[in-house]
Amino acid sequence: MCDSSFVPIFIMEPSRILLLLATLAFIGGVIHAVIALRAGRWQESRWHLAPMALGFAFQSAFLYLRGEQHGRCPLTNFFEVLIFIGWCIVLLYFLIGAAYRLSLLGVFTAPLVATLQILALLSPFDKAIAARSKVNPWLEMHASVALIAYAAFALACITGVMYLIQDYLLKHRRIHALFHQLPPIHDLAKAIRRMVLLGVILLSLALAFSFKINVPITNSKMIFSWCVLTLYVVILLLMWLRALSARQTAWLAVLGYLLPLASLWIVTK
Amino acid sequence: MLLCLGLNHRTTPIELRERLAFAESKVPVAAQEIRALPGFEESVVLSTCNRVEIYTAHGMENASQQGLSALFDYLTVHFQLTPEQREALICYRLSHADAARHLFRVVGGLDSMVLGETEIFGQVKAAYTLALKNGTTGRALNKLFQRAFSVGKQVRNDTTIQRGSTSVGSVAVELAEKIFGHLRDCHVLLIGAGEMSRVCAQSLLSRGARSVFISNRNYDRAVELAKEMKGEALRFEEWEKAVNDVDIIISSTSAPHFVVTPELIQPMMHKRRGRPLFIIDIAVPRDVDPRVNEIEEVYLYDVDALQSIADDGRRERQRALVKCEEIIEEQLRKFGYHEESSPAPVDISTLPPTPLNLEP
Repeated sequence: MCDSSFVPIFIMEPSRILLLLATLAFIGGVIHAVIALRAGRWQESRWHLAPMALGFAFQSAFLYLRGEQHGRCPLTNFFEVLIFIGWCIVLLYFLIGAAYRLSLLGVFTAPLVATLQILALLSPFDKAIAARSKVNPWLEMHASVALIAYAAFALACITGVMYLIQDYLLKHRRIHALFHQLPPIHDLAKAIRRMVLLGVILLSLALAFSFKINVPITNSKMIFSWCVLTLYVVILLLMWLRALSARQTAWLAVLGYLLPLASLWIVTK
Repeated sequence: MLLCLGLNHRTTPIELRERLAFAESKVPVAAQEIRALPGFEESVVLSTCNRVEIYTAHGMENASQQGLSALFDYLTVHFQLTPEQREALICYRLSHADAARHLFRVVGGLDSMVLGETEIFGQVKAAYTLALKNGTTGRALNKLFQRAFSVGKQVRNDTTIQRGSTSVGSVAVELAEKIFGHLRDCHVLLIGAGEMSRVCAQSLLSRGARSVFISNRNYDRAVELAKEMKGEALRFEEWEKAVNDVDIIISSTSAPHFVVTPELIQPMMHKRRGRPLFIIDIAVPRDVDPRVNEIEEVYLYDVDALQSIADDGRRERQRALVKCEEIIEEQLRKFGYHEESSPAPVDISTLPPTPLNLEP
């Protein structure tokens, strides 16, 4: 397995080539969308889903190959965790964002996923892990469900960015191409609440699974995971009680994602 | 040979257009009668509130003047015009590529009163389908209309000719939809019963707004308007109580001071549980304190802001017009309509201004 990412493509291992192709698909989708938006030619079309679908197919193939290699869920190092989160974000985008995906959510999702994958490709953490003879299903469930929860928080963050942009455009009467393509602001506010709720449910489930794991988990991992859950429960409560305005909750969803991102480093060590 | 004889909102006043409109049930008969005229092989009759056009295929290649005169005579005889009316009637008479170009422009919404509107596409399609069903079309017109629809779609998809709103009423609707999504749960409050606020409210209701409350200093006028709009009249002293229950406020009183203030709106927003509030201030002098726009989840637009957005929308469409004409010329060449006639130059300044509150 390669220690460095700066390896000519012809001697890259197949899974990394798949990852590179996935990243190129997402970047290509974003570049095309940005050019179309700037030229005022963006039209809602199912064709804009094509780069996302292509990237998702390559990501899935990458995870499949890695899963075969490890004989378990491919979450063995920081590199794979980043890819898995990216995969979950795209999966949730297809599943949950159906109402919004034709209205630019993909354009906002793709840069985040591409960034995660570029970070992964450049990172030196893709170390070989020996295949386990015995897989702990609770541990596998805990890790994968927790990462899907992180993906839901990521989508809440992306939707929060969209909300803040649309709010700015409406308040400052900047009615141009981007305004026409962004979803209604009330729908964005509801979408943020749904994503945060989904993330909280999934992360609670993941932490519940951790009680079933007989393998000892380090304190720092548990503390960070519980901190992330607490943060999002607080955000959810604030949203529920309408203690903050929709704009403030959008900011919380955006800035709040810094904690799960930072915690990834700890929980995957 | 393709021929087109027609009149529209630019050539003919509404009184005469009304007189010359074909009733829907009479269109198939008219198309049959035209096809039965000497030399005519195919025909499609398009009759809308803004235009009456006859598209035909004539058997003789060099008989455009003769064919167009026969169509003009048919029109005047069919509608029994007096010699004075016949004299006053101005029609455009187009043949060959000019007729094809005109149809492409009509289908693309470039010849419409509201530039880029899409309703005409459906109207042309309906007229063609009717003619096809009644057997008055043949190879030439089938080819022409199919290509026109393809060009119409391309114009719509590849340019910004439909982008933005071009009237105050449609801007209000567009903004409301960008705030609330759909309008079916939205309640509208009119403070003052001016004409423009009535038109804005009508636009919102036509797009599905749930109900309208009308409050006016003259209560009888409020009742009258409420009856017309199937809404509810409120006494002027009562409108403040309704603010919590509405999503869109349209204010157009003649008060010399601010009627809607941050002190009134701010406490209401806490009770609204995250529902945004869209306020349209149509009054001059303004009814709504501009500081209201600083309150979270409140979006305030005055008449200048709405007008400016409508102007931008019109400019955007006019900019797109050049690209649309290029597409049409390209398609005329591609589809083999000969190029001997050069296109009429696009003169944006001659386009009729959009009526202020006309819904596109």
